[in-house]
Amino acid sequence: MTALTIDRINKRYGNLHILKDISIPIGQGEFVSLLGPSGCGKTTTLRCIAGFERPDTGRILFGERDVTRALPEQRDIGMVFQSYALFPHMTVAENLSFGLEVRKVAPADRQRRIADVLAMVRLEGYDKRYPRELSGGQQQRVALARALVIEPSVLLLDEPLANLDATLRDEMRFFIRDLQQRVGITSIYVTHDQAEAMVMSDKIVVMNAGTISQFGSPREIYERPASQSVAGFIGRSNTISGKIAEALGQDGYKVETPCGSIGATGPAGLSKGAEVKIMIRPENISTRSQAASGHQQGAGAEEAGSGENVLAGSVVNSVYQGSANQLAVKLGSGDRVIVDVNGRNPLEVGEQVALRFAARDTWLLAS
Amino acid sequence: MTGATSGVEKTIWDRLFTVLVAAIYIFLMFPIVLVVLLSFNSGEFLAFPLEGFSLRWFEALFSNKRFLDATLYSIQIAATSTIVNAVIGTLAAIYVARHATVARDYIRLIMTAPLLVPEILTAIALLFYFYEIRIGTDYSIGIQIGHIVVTFPYVFLNVSSALFNFDRSQEEAARSLGAGGWMTFRRVTLPAIKPGIITGCLFAFVISFDIFNISLLLKSLGSNTLPLELFDYLRFNFDPTAAAIASLSIFMTFAAILIIDRTVGLRSLRF
Amino acid sequence: MSAVEAAPRVEGRSNRGSTTWMVVPALVLLIGFFALPYLTIITMSLREASTRAVYGEGFTLAHYTTALGDFYIWGILGRTLLIGATVTVISLLLGYPVAYHLAKSRSRWTSLLYIFVLSPLLVGLVVRTFAWMIILSNNGVANQALQAVGLIDFPLQLMNNSLGVTIALTHVFLPFVILPLLGNLQAISPDLAMASRSLGASRMRTFWKVTLPLSMPGIQAGTILVFVLSISAYVTPAMLGGTGGRTMSVLVVQYLVDNFRWPAGAALAIIMAAVAVIFVGLYLRLTARAMRRLP
Repeated sequence: MTALTIDRINKRYGNLHILKDISIPIGQGEFVSLLGPSGCGKTTTLRCIAGFERPDTGRILFGERDVTRALPEQRDIGMVFQSYALFPHMTVAENLSFGLEVRKVAPADRQRRIADVLAMVRLEGYDKRYPRELSGGQQQRVALARALVIEPSVLLLDEPLANLDATLRDEMRFFIRDLQQRVGITSIYVTHDQAEAMVMSDKIVVMNAGTISQFGSPREIYERPASQSVAGFIGRSNTISGKIAEALGQDGYKVETPCGSIGATGPAGLSKGAEVKIMIRPENISTRSQAASGHQQGAGAEEAGSGENVLAGSVVNSVYQGSANQLAVKLGSGDRVIVDVNGRNPLEVGEQVALRFAARDTWLLAS
Repeated sequence: MTGATSGVEKTIWDRLFTVLVAAIYIFLMFPIVLVVLLSFNSGEFLAFPLEGFSLRWFEALFSNKRFLDATLYSIQIAATSTIVNAVIGTLAAIYVARHATVARDYIRLIMTAPLLVPEILTAIALLFYFYEIRIGTDYSIGIQIGHIVVTFPYVFLNVSSALFNFDRSQEEAARSLGAGGWMTFRRVTLPAIKPGIITGCLFAFVISFDIFNISLLLKSLGSNTLPLELFDYLRFNFDPTAAAIASLSIFMTFAAILIIDRTVGLRSLRF
Repeated sequence: MSAVEAAPRVEGRSNRGSTTWMVVPALVLLIGFFALPYLTIITMSLREASTRAVYGEGFTLAHYTTALGDFYIWGILGRTLLIGATVTVISLLLGYPVAYHLAKSRSRWTSLLYIFVLSPLLVGLVVRTFAWMIILSNNGVANQALQAVGLIDFPLQLMNNSLGVTIALTHVFLPFVILPLLGNLQAISPDLAMASRSLGASRMRTFWKVTLPLSMPGIQAGTILVFVLSISAYVTPAMLGGTGGRTMSVLVVQYLVDNFRWPAGAALAIIMAAVAVIFVGLYLRLTARAMRRLP
């Protein structure tokens, strides 16, 4: 069942087409992130859902209810702002009470619900404090509590972690996700931080220039990006250009590249001769020093039938990153490939290496 | 309604609110527009209906030696106030922003004090004081000092705000590149705060040109500023020549507003 | 120019004393020709009157006791305060919507509207008051208009009384309530109103519960400014107040300029200032409750 349906909404400001036919179905209790660079339309989408903007065309449904023309206060939403937007002239308890008073909840009920939600965000005893007397992380949790205490049908979060420092941000990711799952509330989360979207979401909507580039689970988006721009935006990736030489079964392909023939996985239906890019994540490539591997430089890439590809190259740069070394390897074709290697076995710049990766760890992107 | 509620339909209340606000804007501008209109009206009376376009009242104004003298006198006083304050107000602002430590808040308070007390009281105080220290009001020096005192805060505040918004690391960058203190000031700091100085000076000029109470109590015998001359004229006359004088003053003000708006933007004004 | 050239060299922290010269001219001006003169109002008010000189030999409190025992002066003081309070209240009621509108406005006309607010402030008082004389006089624009639409048969008495002074002063000082409020309202994050709406509050409720309480500092600053300015205003009551709209400032100037009674005039000025301070103090106490919660 869809808790929230965004149905082909469009929004223009003058000549600017901010949202182009955006459709997103969101299931009950799902945590959906809108992810994209600034100006991609993610915030406008959220503001349309909240009612602070009205789409020019299209509909927004909460369950069965069409709220496209409803005012924000009529929508039954909870919203968390990047700035937290706590009322500075009200105590924590008064901030939490605000939405309950609007809903005419009886005073005794109000007190109970405020106490409950404060316990939930681990801020018992802070009810008489003013927002300015709280740390950033605490203010963040009050903002969350204020949105949740009214038990809205949808929780909207607009980059709520952007103003926190890195450590706290990591902590709050799990805190918010955990809370959301316990309460079971349908949530929409706007962020430009792909790592945040990856760890928190059930589904991610990758947006770019007012359109949806991809809509899927974090795994789908990471492992099977729909386009080169999605692959580039989510995590690090390498690409090698080539042409489909042969289709092998449902999603397997043999791709002809300047480095030789490479076995790869890709979306069904790519035709022979199509220009493609082979995407390989740096962590899916293993390396061996060329001396040990016995392969000759420029030799055929795929080891027959094994699904393993081997490419030869030379190390042009090596960066120590603590948990891993990041190598830049120049292939025979001239392409550069980034590889993560275990720090225990350092490879020197100039050294010849063999890069090894499985066909199932690759993904073909249409060029 | 735009901004937070853009794209959301206007209610009847929005429309009523718009009408109310429009009425208040009209209330604010109407008297000023009226004066300008009547100064170009060929009719004999300061009343409607308008009879036709004419410059006769400006001619009457420019053929009246008293008004010409008063205009020149006002410009002289205002220009002197502006120049003096441009120097001492800028220096003081730099001192308070960059060097003052212990007494900074007190210094800032006294620098803005003339703005915080009614002008009429300052005028009375200076009237007594000049008598006590034997300067008196026989010469222009009294009225001139009065104008400088009252317009000082405008320069000080606008330069202070420019300094506040100016990123100090630019000065440090200049120093790190080997520029000396004077060169840093002339090539980096001064250009950055120039808009503040210009705004403050224009403001000081306009205020000095307009203020009345100081001039009324401190004027020396036989020389009137333009507002004083207009005030005196209106005691016995009530004709469009007065509107022409008023228009002149209005044009000057709007010229200053336009310059400020084009150079630094009106919203940066401090007063 | 050697002093100027020496300045930056000592900009370093080591030799702070040497930058003091920068503030000296300003301090001389403001202490010598602002702070000290204010003291002379006090001393002047305690001088004995004299018919042969500006003041006599000795010191006396007589000017205060005389003034405070004079019903005429009490009447003028009361009228001054009434005009001041009325102007303040009306200015707030008219100024708030304008400030609110300007703070929210994003249109390309905003700049022009801002000029509308600012320009009355920069156009001289005499000019503005003169404009109101044109409007309010017996055969002025207002009466012409009212007669033309048939609301009245005979001109209304709109000036030479408190009414005219109140109307004109409201116009004259309206920008002083708008500008602090505008600054205040612009500093309130629009997120707060949105948060309120998202919690279910209507726009009305949002205004009363969020925007208005947060704009109290602007209200306080603007109203104090307007109150102090309007009770001390001279030009407007002098030009269109007549005897029916005579205020303390007009009386003080009359004492000083026409009657040449400087000590008595000084005492009146101090009484006026003291009353203003008392009222502002009371007002601050009253509004302190509303401000208590603000950061």
